Amino acid sequence: MRHFRQLTRLLHLLEDTLLVSSFAVMLLLGSMQILLRNLDLGLGFVWIEPLLRSLVLWLALLGAMVASRDNRHIRIDLLSRYLEGRTARRAWILVNLVSACVTGFMAVAGMALVGFEYEDQTTLSSGLPVWVVQLIIPFSFTVISLRFLRLAITEVQTEEVEIWER
Amino acid sequence: MSWLLSALVLLFAFLGAPLFVMILAGAILGFHFSGIPLTVLAIELYRLVDTPLLVALPLFTFAGYVLAESRVAERLVDITRVFFGWMPAGLAVISLFLCALFTAFTGASGVTIVALGALLFPALKTAGYPERFSLGLVTTSGSLGLLIAPSLPLILYGVIVQQMDLPKTFSLQELFIAGLLPALLMIALLTLFSIWQTRGHLVTKHEFSRREAFATLWAARWELPLPFLVLGGIYSGMFAVSEAAVVTAVYVLLVETVILREVSARKLLELTRESMVMGGGILVILGVSLAFTNFLIDAEVPQALFELMQMYIVDKLTFLILLNIVLLLLGAFLDIFSALVIMLPMIVPLALGYGVDPVHLGIIFLANMQIGYFTPPIGMNLFIASFRFNRPVLELSLATLPFMLVMLAALIIITYVPEVSLILLDR
Repeated sequence: MRHFRQLTRLLHLLEDTLLVSSFAVMLLLGSMQILLRNLDLGLGFVWIEPLLRSLVLWLALLGAMVASRDNRHIRIDLLSRYLEGRTARRAWILVNLVSACVTGFMAVAGMALVGFEYEDQTTLSSGLPVWVVQLIIPFSFTVISLRFLRLAITEVQTEEVEIWER
Repeated sequence: MSWLLSALVLLFAFLGAPLFVMILAGAILGFHFSGIPLTVLAIELYRLVDTPLLVALPLFTFAGYVLAESRVAERLVDITRVFFGWMPAGLAVISLFLCALFTAFTGASGVTIVALGALLFPALKTAGYPERFSLGLVTTSGSLGLLIAPSLPLILYGVIVQQMDLPKTFSLQELFIAGLLPALLMIALLTLFSIWQTRGHLVTKHEFSRREAFATLWAARWELPLPFLVLGGIYSGMFAVSEAAVVTAVYVLLVETVILREVSARKLLELTRESMVMGGGILVILGVSLAFTNFLIDAEVPQALFELMQMYIVDKLTFLILLNIVLLLLGAFLDIFSALVIMLPMIVPLALGYGVDPVHLGIIFLANMQIGYFTPPIGMNLFIASFRFNRPVLELSLATLPFMLVMLAALIIITYVPEVSLILLDR
């Protein structure tokens, strides 16, 4: 259990670092692109654009990962306000189980895509292999899926405790 | 079977499942029933990479977060008081402009009410404006500015619609220009309303002093060039939008952390993380909705919908009335980014079918959402203001109601007189 907690903390640190540094790199590359485009230094800058766009994908998925850690996704949430007690909890468990399945599907699809690209060996103009960029898809969705599962399990556990206490 | 499952997806969304998960679920079901392998989901998500404009989204979100954290709101209110406090209803009117500008830059999410409204409200009260009027004004102004560059919803509308391969295209530049007059129209009507509302009230006027004026301007010397730089750059076409985003983010970062030091390094890390959770949340919804939209188009759903609607609605005018009603309802309970990604794939082909210009449609869409923000009793900004000013939602609903009627009048003009949006363009 202690190891598991340490591992979780390490994962959180990794996510935060990746998220903040991806943004920092985006800022840096974006500035470089403007400078190189306007000051004619004879240095190429066409390689920057695909990297910037790849960072958008990374920021999207890393942001979603961190949001799922704090359970802060954008939701519509019209009905759940009117549910109470057991019903609300059951609904919440169900919602998280379904979400875990759906994001799990996406993780598998992402894995398949990375596999195809790995065989194709396409690269961006900066030399970065496309499959490396895409790696974030299965990685983030696996983590997100596991987090939904954990939310459901925690809820089941509280329910059990309450039944015991009764 | 597929109908039952779709209903289930909707039910889960209402029960509180994250929006991106439910859109994804819709796409999974759709592709499954059309017999397309699910790897396509990942391929569609990867298409986020094909859109150069999207780089602007995280950058502007970041800049907005940093600006909201700094004391720029305070400085702007000072300038307003000194320069416009002597005019009748001057403070109220300039508050409208200020809020619009602030929202355009910070991305329209209630930040304006929290950061700027919280300063304007006491300033208005001290100047002698009626309390209820002041509350209504700051709550309403929170969503002004949605139609002015570089507002994120406006950019997002452009990005989504450009993805759709329409017969009638437009540039982001055109969209920005189209939003100018409608935004001014809203502000103008609210201005007239404010002057009329505060007539006969003894409003203390602030004596203009040259020394004070200079001091307030000097205090804001670093932030003042920003709107000119960015708006000037975008509207004149000197910057591409993504370049403007880079310039804004770097400029704000330098001014607030290095020159003014109002945002500490530690705080900066936190702000970066927070803004990226917000920006990432929007991007991921956009990414999965690319997959879903593609499925809809493959399955020819918008076309079927159009044919169905044409049996009941023949002319453009009836369509626009219906559109307004639907969007007002949606805007009240759906967050603006969700509303954009969910509704546009359906609405845009329909509207084009009825002969509505896509640029005009974008302005109508956002103008509706703007009102939805404070539609009683569930508009999001009512809750934010209720939280910020410590007043019951009901009181805020009543205070904003007259402002809402004014905005509805503006909406009607914007919707039924397309020239307001399109006259500056060659369309």
